[in-house]
Amino acid sequence: MIPADEVECKLLADLVQERFGLWFGGARQEILLTRLRSRMTALRLPSLLDYYHFLRCHPQRDEEFDRLACQLTNNETYFFREPHHFDIIVRHVVPALGEILRSRPLRVLSAGCSSGEEPYSLAIALHNAGLELRGIQWQIDACDLNRDRLTRARDGVYDGGSLRVCDEQALQRYFERADGRHRLRERYRKGVRFFEANLAAPSGTLGSPPYDVVLCRNLLIYFDDAGFDRAVRLLGGGLRPGGWLVLGHSESLIARSDDYAPTWLEGAMIYRKKPIEAAA
Amino acid sequence: MPASNSAERLAALAAATGPEREALVLASLEDIAPLVREQAIRLATRYVEPEVLGTLIADGVNAARRNGALAALERQGPYAVPYLVKLLGSADGELVMFALQILARIGDGSGAAGILPLLRHADPNVAQAAVEALGRLRATAAVPALLELLRGNLWLQLAAVTALGEIGDPAAVAPLLKLVPDSFVAEQAVRSLQRIAAPESLEPLLGLLAQVHERPLRDAILEAVGVVLDLHPDPESAGAAFSREADRDRGPEGVTPFLGELLRTIEAETECRRELLGAGAEGVPLEREALAQSAVAVILTGRLRSLYPLVLRRAGEPDVAWIETQWRRHARLQPDELSALLAHRDPQVRRGILVAGEFGPEDVASILARLADADVAVRAAACRALGLVGDARAAAALIERIREGTAAERLEAAAALGRLPVEAMAELRRSLDPDAGETTIVAALDAVRAAEAGVFEAEVLTLVRSPSNAIRQAALRAAAVLPGTRAEGALLRGLGDRDESVQLEALELLVQRGGERAVATLAALLSADDSLRFRVIRALGRLRAAESAPKLESLYPHAALHERVEIVRALTTIAPPGIADFLGVRLRAPEPEIRHVAAFGLAQLAGPDDFPTLLEMAGHDDWALRNEAARALGRLGLPQGRPALLTLVRDVEPVVARMARSALAGLGNGSDSAAA
Repeated sequence: MIPADEVECKLLADLVQERFGLWFGGARQEILLTRLRSRMTALRLPSLLDYYHFLRCHPQRDEEFDRLACQLTNNETYFFREPHHFDIIVRHVVPALGEILRSRPLRVLSAGCSSGEEPYSLAIALHNAGLELRGIQWQIDACDLNRDRLTRARDGVYDGGSLRVCDEQALQRYFERADGRHRLRERYRKGVRFFEANLAAPSGTLGSPPYDVVLCRNLLIYFDDAGFDRAVRLLGGGLRPGGWLVLGHSESLIARSDDYAPTWLEGAMIYRKKPIEAAA
Repeated sequence: MPASNSAERLAALAAATGPEREALVLASLEDIAPLVREQAIRLATRYVEPEVLGTLIADGVNAARRNGALAALERQGPYAVPYLVKLLGSADGELVMFALQILARIGDGSGAAGILPLLRHADPNVAQAAVEALGRLRATAAVPALLELLRGNLWLQLAAVTALGEIGDPAAVAPLLKLVPDSFVAEQAVRSLQRIAAPESLEPLLGLLAQVHERPLRDAILEAVGVVLDLHPDPESAGAAFSREADRDRGPEGVTPFLGELLRTIEAETECRRELLGAGAEGVPLEREALAQSAVAVILTGRLRSLYPLVLRRAGEPDVAWIETQWRRHARLQPDELSALLAHRDPQVRRGILVAGEFGPEDVASILARLADADVAVRAAACRALGLVGDARAAAALIERIREGTAAERLEAAAALGRLPVEAMAELRRSLDPDAGETTIVAALDAVRAAEAGVFEAEVLTLVRSPSNAIRQAALRAAAVLPGTRAEGALLRGLGDRDESVQLEALELLVQRGGERAVATLAALLSADDSLRFRVIRALGRLRAAESAPKLESLYPHAALHERVEIVRALTTIAPPGIADFLGVRLRAPEPEIRHVAAFGLAQLAGPDDFPTLLEMAGHDDWALRNEAARALGRLGLPQGRPALLTLVRDVEPVVARMARSALAGLGNGSDSAAA
């Protein structure tokens, strides 16, 4: 394989940014190159410039962009990651909505859901909180750019890294064995639905708004500043006034947006969409 | 600040022109949004003169603007150097320090002469910044003055030690060695000795390694020894002296236990990372690996034989190929030592010696015995070692591994057979029988390819018609190295294979093989409007098939965009007469992809007559075109290209600025014209 030239890297990084809003400049360029290698090998294209031209001009470029999207967003996640966010929803968001949830379900969007670990973890947390016994239903919409991951999410079968923090008791309680792997039990899959979406899309809406909570954790770190702002606007557009935006621990809206009130809960910063008075 | 406002401010910056732009850019250097600040710095680099930026640096009140101006001046590079040198004469010590720091970061040696007098500056902070700058600029002329500073103020002493290492003049070796081990700056002195890496420092450093027991300093000495050893033309005599010294200290803090413990710890760390992060995890961090490399070099140079098994345990792992290199360079074994290692109880050691060791015909029997080893990795390594010996006596056993071995053994055996005399390979014919099984046949074909064994041509030509894709591809690879038209014909027929991956393999092999017939066939394929054509165009380019150039040019107007891109690239490689004109026209094509490849082509092929075209590219809105203009101007080295490069060196795109800076460096010292 020919060594990567700085110009070729930038052309490709710019193209990926333009298409997906994902930023692979600076030190992240190496990650981009690593993830492209298998596509270049599969297409028998020896240089980055060959691959760049394939993406720009080849008649099969759209199919290749789909494959590339899967390659670039191939980020591992796992069940019960940063569980305090689920505690916040159970202990603060649900009580704040109060009686409203008697007449409609709690509505949550999990953006960048990968293979479903996050929305299913939330469903388990809501289930364990006994909301159903109190007559409260929920609807969790979950989206991702990566089609293969969404297929895995719908299958609901997991192993290895996805279950890294699950002890034996959790495995038995939430999963059933299937060919040596773990299939999420049906009752935790109820109320969770998946769809394909690109957070870098310039406009439009996401899923079926308005939502009470939008979870978008550890995803915005991959965006450049402009893409970050665009994605936050898109997510915010789907939140009802007073709704909650939950980001990963290394992502922040402080000094970036006046549309949200930062709130410190359960040891984590989350963001409440203004005007808060309009909330239930 | 709302996000939409930052987007508006960015848009305003992009739209501004003339004097209004400068005011807006300077104000935006203190914008609250990092994105806006970064854009302001880029625009300041491009459009604001160093003198104006200098006034912001002098403003001690507004730190945000000052930081932005500092960043912009640094990015202006050679363009800002004359102004920065002038600043060195300022009465404002803080301003002088800023100028020194930026000059050091720019790395333009023309500023060094102006810095030297500042070593005696009354303000020690300025003097220290001058020392640091001279080090960064690798100013050899400063060495005598820096050596004097080794006896002065402690902070200046530390800075001077560092600077001497950065400059790398061997004149500093003896004074630096005097500072080790008993001085405040001992560790930094060792680091500097490592950077200088002078051969004469090897023996004293090895002596220090044996004597010094204090851990951080000992690690630093070990790392330095590793680098010096690596660059030393003849480390043998220093190694012998060290061996005697190591023998003298057999206590727990002696150098042998120290090195053994270090290797064991690093090996354990590697294992631990693999267990925690999975098999694909990278090895230990680079600094630990550097220490391991140094330890191995010292063990082998100093003949610390008790530690050899420890060294060999990791040999053969893909991320430590350096062990083989070190072993072959430094290790010298007696026959009984070699036998002992080949029969070592630890299979990793047995594999290690087979991978790293150097063997001759007298060792064939010992290595053949290892083909019966219980460990697969040892057997595969034995195959490899037999190939390196190249003795015909190994042929039968290697062919047997092709038929009976694991995948790893087959791979190594096939490569090894390729190094044996072809006459010894007759028995391989059985493995090329269509009924021998896919894995055996593929491995046998790989052996034929490695050996370029024309005696098997009939078998190979039969197998290119196998129903198995894997066998057809392997047979084509073998055919590609065989002489004669029949093998070439098989490759040409491969272009029409029913499987696309076989077609692509055949195309690649034809390009590697070359030849007039291949060019004629590929040129004929240009008439077929199919999915293979863009690859055929590229192949003709790689073959530098001058006779195909007219056909490529005539195809251009009718081809699809991805094919036109390949035509421009292929013609650039072929470089037929009139190519610069062809590329010049493509530079004005409506499709950016065509403009890009045309610019890449001109960067390689433009001559002095194309200078106006290059100037046009240098002023283009598209950064890729500006970048290629800088590349071409650097390659041509025309003095009249300097003003354009001095503009490009301040380009808003850092990639372009770096390219222009590199091009300017190639033109020689041009900072005197920077203010032009």
